[in-house]
Amino acid sequence: MDLDLNVHKEGDHSVLEVAGEIDVYTAPKLREQLIELVSDGSYHIVVDLEKVDFLDSTGLGVLVGGLKRVRNHDGSLQLVCTQEKILKIFRITGLTKVFPIHSSVADAISAPVE
Amino acid sequence: MDADAGGVPATVRLAFAPEARLLGTIRLVVGVVARKAGMGEEGIEDLKVAVSETCAVAVGDLNRAGLPDQIEVDLVEAPDRFGIEVRDRAPAASAGPEGAAGGEVDDRELGLALIGALVDDLKTSTLEGGGNRTSFWLRRGPQGLGPIPGVDLPSPLT
Repeated sequence: MDLDLNVHKEGDHSVLEVAGEIDVYTAPKLREQLIELVSDGSYHIVVDLEKVDFLDSTGLGVLVGGLKRVRNHDGSLQLVCTQEKILKIFRITGLTKVFPIHSSVADAISAPVE
Repeated sequence: MDADAGGVPATVRLAFAPEARLLGTIRLVVGVVARKAGMGEEGIEDLKVAVSETCAVAVGDLNRAGLPDQIEVDLVEAPDRFGIEVRDRAPAASAGPEGAAGGEVDDRELGLALIGALVDDLKTSTLEGGGNRTSFWLRRGPQGLGPIPGVDLPSPLT
């Protein structure tokens, strides 16, 4: 399964919708998209993972890399995810303490930037 | 599987070229076989993550070594559990020069942590003549539950 990415703007935020499987094969595509967003001046990013079927450690690494990049510009990277199988991956690795994870894009956008 | 699995023969044996694009296929097959074996959905997802992480390490190691050798995956159905063994002919495991995420975070360590948290009886050993064997089991529970509900690890940002 391939990885589909779709970006749209909502106010000051760039919303990156991700659909498909994020693994060592597809993660570079996600990494390039995040790099491109930051390079284009998008420092407040919401990554919507609701249509992600699979996430591995490489995908986690890419998201952490994206977070580091936006933080270098005093920005934010927030996640949207309600799928237990994906949330479990974040919990096991302790990344629920690193990423703000919301139940909807609207909640992510309205959340105060930490 | 060999001694690590207590001599239980493989139900399904896969062999694939060390190409990352094939990991999705491996996950698909593992999901189908585990489901037919009666594993619960949560257990199936745990197995898919664990086998994908294990195979991704093997693919990376073989690619860095320039070896085309196939990776073998045994799926073992036992009365009370489901087992997987992954074998590759890569030299001694080592992290890549930048890590699989381009130096952003050590996702090999994250991957190993995930495997260890999701499955039972994780064992790694070297193969005679070179290579690596990784095996693990997952007990069948009411929902195919893994052994650990959640383990907090040090943050990769700290």
